[in-house]
Amino acid sequence: MHINPKEEIRHSKFAMFGISILLLLLIIAIFGPLLTPYEPLSQTRFAFEPPSFNHWLGTNYVGQDIFSQLIYGARTSLLVGFSAALLAILLSAIIGTSAALVGGLYDKIVMRIVDAFIVIPAIIIIILVAAYLKPSIAILILLLALLGWQGGARTIRAQALSLKELGHISAARSFGASNLYLIFRHILPDLVPILLMGFIYGVRRAVFMEAGLAFLGIVDPTTVSWGMMMHEALDFSYLDVWRWWLIPPGVALSLTILAVTGIGHTLEGALDPRLRREANA
Amino acid sequence: MAIYGNEALIAMTPELKAHLIERLALDQPLWRQFGAYLLALVQGDVGYSYYYKAPVSSIVLGRLPWTLLLVGTALIISTLSGIVLGIESGWRRGSRRDKSLLTGLMTISGFPDFFLGMLLLIGFGVTLGIFPLSGAITPYSGLSGAALVLDVLHHLFLPLTALTLCHIGASYLLTRNTMVTVLKNPYILTAKAKGITDQAVRYQHAGRNALLPVITQTGIQLGRMISGVIFIEIVFAYPGLGYLTYEALLARDYPVIQGVLLVVAVFVLIANFLVDLSYSRLDPRIRYAH
Repeated sequence: MHINPKEEIRHSKFAMFGISILLLLLIIAIFGPLLTPYEPLSQTRFAFEPPSFNHWLGTNYVGQDIFSQLIYGARTSLLVGFSAALLAILLSAIIGTSAALVGGLYDKIVMRIVDAFIVIPAIIIIILVAAYLKPSIAILILLLALLGWQGGARTIRAQALSLKELGHISAARSFGASNLYLIFRHILPDLVPILLMGFIYGVRRAVFMEAGLAFLGIVDPTTVSWGMMMHEALDFSYLDVWRWWLIPPGVALSLTILAVTGIGHTLEGALDPRLRREANA
Repeated sequence: MAIYGNEALIAMTPELKAHLIERLALDQPLWRQFGAYLLALVQGDVGYSYYYKAPVSSIVLGRLPWTLLLVGTALIISTLSGIVLGIESGWRRGSRRDKSLLTGLMTISGFPDFFLGMLLLIGFGVTLGIFPLSGAITPYSGLSGAALVLDVLHHLFLPLTALTLCHIGASYLLTRNTMVTVLKNPYILTAKAKGITDQAVRYQHAGRNALLPVITQTGIQLGRMISGVIFIEIVFAYPGLGYLTYEALLARDYPVIQGVLLVVAVFVLIANFLVDLSYSRLDPRIRYAH
C-alpha cells in the first residue's frame, strides 16, 4: 500500500489538467478583488446590459456586474468545497479508524449510524435542512461535512481492519502500543492514499452540492455563488442574456468539477494496482 | 384550517396555536406520537397533506410512475450503452478510440446535471422550440392512445437525455476498469488460443465477467433514483417524486416530505436486496460460498 501519489499525478495529463485548473481558480479566488473594479452585489440602474468593455459579461436584472459575480463565485465554490471535504474526511478518518481499533459495542453503534445515513440519501436531508436554515457559508460547510463522512468512514474502517492484522501492527501492540499510538504511527500513514481520494471526491461532492443548493435558491441570498447566478439567470431564459449570464457560471462549475474528477480518476488508477501502468489519457 | 410556511409567523394566534397543538397531538409524549405513526403506517395511512389537501399516499403514488418512467428508462439506456462503450474501450486500452471515449465521457460526466438540463432546455426548448419546456403531458389536451404516448415521449425526451448523459460516465468507467482487470485472466488467453472470434471473447468471456460491479452500481443508483433525479425534475418541472419533494419543502408540507422519505428508504432497501439476489445469478461462485 505504499504508493507515491505525486508521481502518479505528474504522469497523467488528465490530472495535470485538473491541477492547473484548480491552481488557476485558486489564484482567481485569492486575487478576485484586484481583477474587477465592481462589488459583486452592488446594484446599479443599468440592468440587462450586454457584454461591453466596462462590463465584460454584461449586467444582470438588478444591474450587478456578472463578471465580478463569476470571480467571487470561485471563492465560494473553493472555500465550501475544500473546507467541507476536509472536515468530512477528518471525521471519516477519526470515526473509521477508531471503530476498527476499538471494536465491540462502539464499532457496532457507529456502523449502525452509518447504515441509517446511507439508506436516506444525504441530498434530501441537506435540502430539507437548507430550506429551513437558508445557511450561510459556515453553516453550509458544517452541514455538508456532517452529512458527508459516512461513506468514507465505512471504507476507512474496512481498510483499517485489514491493516490491523498486519505483522508490524501486532508487533507494536505486543510491545504495549496504545490504540492512539497505533492509529497515528502506523494506520493513518498507510491510509493516506485512501484519505486523499476520499478528500478529492468529497470536494467534488461539496462543490456540486453548494452549487445545487444555491441553484434551488435555498442558501443565504447574500452569498455570491455560481449556483445562485444560474438560479437567477434561468428566470430570464426567454431573453438572450443566458449567453453571458447562465453559460459562464455553468462552464466554470463544470470545469471545476471536471478538474477534481481528473485528479480523482488518476489517484483511483494509482490505488488499484490492477489498473496501474496504463497509458494515461 | 391549514397554515404552513412563513404564513405561520403572521397568522398564528394563541387560540389557533392551542387548537393545532391539540389537533396534531403535539402535547403527547414523543414515543406516543411515534407509536401512533407506526400504527397508522401498518394500516396504510401515511398522513394527510395540508397543502395538497389529499392523502399523502395518493399524492406520492400519483407521482411515482413519472419518476419510475424517467429514471428507469435513463438507467437502462445509460447502463447498457455504458457497458458496451466500456467493453469496447477496455478491450484495447490506450488505443485512440479508448482515449477519445475516455476523455469525452469524463467531460460529459463533469457537467452538473442541472446545468446540462438547462442547456438542453434553452437550446431545444426555448431557442429551437421543438420540445416542451415543462411537465410530463400537455394539460387538458384530452389525448388518448398513440397520440398520448407520443405526447409523453415528447415531454420525456429532454429530461431523459440529460439524465442519461449524466449517468453514462459512471457505468462506462466501471466497465472499462473491470474489463482491464478481467482481460489479464488466463481464460481470456485460452479463449483466444482456441480461435474464437474477437467479438465472442470480448462480450461472452470478458464482458460477462466485467458485469458484476456495474450491476451493483446500477442497483445502488436505482435505489437512489428519487434523490438523484431531483435537480433534473426541477429544471424541467417534471411531476415526479423529486419535484414533489421540492414543492413540499417550499410549502413546508411535512406529511408529504415524511411520505417521500419513507418511499426513498424502502426503495434503497429493495434495490439493495435485488442487487444481492442478482449476484448469485451472475456469479456462480457466490452460490457455492453459501
